[in-house]
Amino acid sequence: MKIPQAQASRLAHRARGALAILIAAAALILGPAAMASAVETPAPTPSASPESIEIWIRVAADKSNVPNASVLVTGPKGFSQTFVTGPDGKAFVGLPRAGDYTLLVDNKSLPAGKGTPPSESNPRVVTVSPGDVEDPAYFLLVPGGTEPSVPGSTNTPGSGHHSSSGNNTDYGALVANLTANGLIFGLLLALASIGVSLIYGTTGLSNFAHGELVTFGALTGYVLSGVLHLPGWIGIVGAAVAGGLMGLGQDAALWKPLRKRGVGLIPLMIVSIGLSLVLRYLYEFIFGSDQLIIPSDSHAAFVLGPIKFTSITLISVILCVVLLLLVAFILLRTRIGKATRAVADNRALAAASGINVERIIRLVWVGSGVLAALAGVLIGYYQTLRWDTGGSILLLVFAAVTLGGFGTAFGALVGSLVIGLVVNLSTLIIPANVQNAAALLIMIIILLVRPQGILGRRERIG
Amino acid sequence: MDLSFLWLALGQIISPQTIAYALAALGLAVCFGFTGLINFGQAGFMAVGGYAFAITSVHFHWAFGWSVLASIAGAVIFAFILGIPTLRLRADYLAIVTIAAAEIVRYTVKTPNIAPVTGGTDGINGSSHAFDAFNPIPVGRYGFGVLTYDQDDLWIILVGIAVTAVAALFVWQLMRSPWGRIVKGIREDEDAVRALGKNVYWYKMQALIIGGVLAALANIINIIPTSLQPDNYGTQTTFFLFTIMLLGGATTVLGPLVGSIIFWVVLSLADGILSLGVQYHWLPITQLQQGPIRFVLVGIALMLLIIFRPQGILGKKREAYFGA
Repeated sequence: MKIPQAQASRLAHRARGALAILIAAAALILGPAAMASAVETPAPTPSASPESIEIWIRVAADKSNVPNASVLVTGPKGFSQTFVTGPDGKAFVGLPRAGDYTLLVDNKSLPAGKGTPPSESNPRVVTVSPGDVEDPAYFLLVPGGTEPSVPGSTNTPGSGHHSSSGNNTDYGALVANLTANGLIFGLLLALASIGVSLIYGTTGLSNFAHGELVTFGALTGYVLSGVLHLPGWIGIVGAAVAGGLMGLGQDAALWKPLRKRGVGLIPLMIVSIGLSLVLRYLYEFIFGSDQLIIPSDSHAAFVLGPIKFTSITLISVILCVVLLLLVAFILLRTRIGKATRAVADNRALAAASGINVERIIRLVWVGSGVLAALAGVLIGYYQTLRWDTGGSILLLVFAAVTLGGFGTAFGALVGSLVIGLVVNLSTLIIPANVQNAAALLIMIIILLVRPQGILGRRERIG
Repeated sequence: MDLSFLWLALGQIISPQTIAYALAALGLAVCFGFTGLINFGQAGFMAVGGYAFAITSVHFHWAFGWSVLASIAGAVIFAFILGIPTLRLRADYLAIVTIAAAEIVRYTVKTPNIAPVTGGTDGINGSSHAFDAFNPIPVGRYGFGVLTYDQDDLWIILVGIAVTAVAALFVWQLMRSPWGRIVKGIREDEDAVRALGKNVYWYKMQALIIGGVLAALANIINIIPTSLQPDNYGTQTTFFLFTIMLLGGATTVLGPLVGSIIFWVVLSLADGILSLGVQYHWLPITQLQQGPIRFVLVGIALMLLIIFRPQGILGKKREAYFGA
């Protein structure tokens, strides 16, 4: 992939400039003391972010540095950026957060005749723990890429250096990559959002414990393929089954009795918050607080212009689309789907016309559990997995559902895609660690202009 | 066996953290318990108030009083930003918008670009200077055993208790006043109050402002003896406050105060007992696994409270906002 360094740095510069103006304006308002402190503070640089990776590419034979090589770095929460090595063969990668980052050296950007990194070390996953600075990611080029490299070898890392030699810059490629990441993330989000939306539609519950259904699926996939080393498809199928059972169990053990007691919607919401705390920290209790990795083949299996898909990403996208089409088919064409929509529309009327409302709600819980668990296991593959993976996307799910219109399944899909795109494309203009804030802000703004959401109906906002 | 944790748990009764959470939960009770607003952004109000206070006092060297005013102003502005778009909408929209706004605040203050002002992920230290400057208590150590406080600890505890007492009196009088009857009416039946010609929207906004200002003041008490850490204002803080408020009674003035004391004493006791269990291998868990347990306990407490005693310890059943 070609590098948008010049543009990106220009953009970053502009954003920083705007910020500086803002701070200066605030300083003017707040008086001379404020001014002094504003002047004293040095201009923030990209290296101000706490965690970082240092990339160093050299030729194995003579240890000569390789400049102008581009490396695609992808990581949690849709982080995806390309870095170019400087004259010393190094590139400094400032990161928004700790996590597992995948580094892929673009072999086409390497000088001809010097070889390529061995295929087993390219792409490479670098685990960045909180507070790590300049985690080494060293690549040695060997002819034909056959010999194993020596990761993190001999030399002590020098001072990191943000590449500036973007001679083949390509802003379009970055936008294309972020758009692709956004759509993929949006599809994954949609799997989780549809469940939230259907549960809300049929029972009125804003389920704050939905993120824990997502994590549950991801952890099931991790146990099956990461711990027991079963094939990946068993992990995915197992997660779906376990998620369905979890949904069924939750409804039978908790939500149905509470509905029977006639507990109001707000207390139900608070119960779901309690449940989410219990489950989330039980996961941490069992699995610890570190990143977990579901093994997968991270080679680029499919290349579309500047965008590379690994095989698991490709499978995820296909699976998402098939599942979403299936949900649409069930909702629109089957008796169960019609009954579900009838319950969501008017529960009393549906019950009066002979629909078994409790049975529909049970089915919705099972279906939501399956979809959420699949979202979880695919997110586990696509990004990384932790005890709070689901909890950390919960608000994005709510934003997606609110955006699309509460209680409408298709609104949830549209909202999810919008949120996925916003989260990824916003990194073009704002720092990556506030990308989620951008999505939440968009949600608040939409509520201001169109409170019923994109596809919602006005009477629902009451 | 080291039983000093019993004393530490006892000390939680007057710890600045307990006082601060009591005050913030009191603010939450004004919003949620008395007015019926689902404010899930109380942690956001705490963060805004805390940052306004710490930035103005540490970076701009404002006098203590002006920093407190800045903190209050920050909470008022935040209440307007949240309230204007959402108070006309259905109740759960307010829930989602407030929780989202609180998270936006947390993400934003952690941005490296504005770290010179907000301290980034490290937060802000040393906002206690202005407060300690007019500490009348002579230098020394007060108390006994593990419960020994220096003059600055004692000063913040005394001021915190005084502020909380004044705030509780204020809320108590407020809820006995015509204003209080109107907001309780809004909680019970918004349309009926509107039919009486009251501006429901404006009353809700005032309740949100009062709740937010109390949270901002609470956080000043919270950060003075320690420091301001952005990740202390995640959603879990709001949920702690809900648990505290519901524990004591959401529709009472003393409930949040009692709730906070019980909450922190119990958590402290649980931590102490778990530590002993780990130390003497009574429990098959490691020290690292101790941390999550307190959150599991809080979650279970929250669920049981809502299901079995929604009015809390001090509340009246008929006034429970969501009588089951």
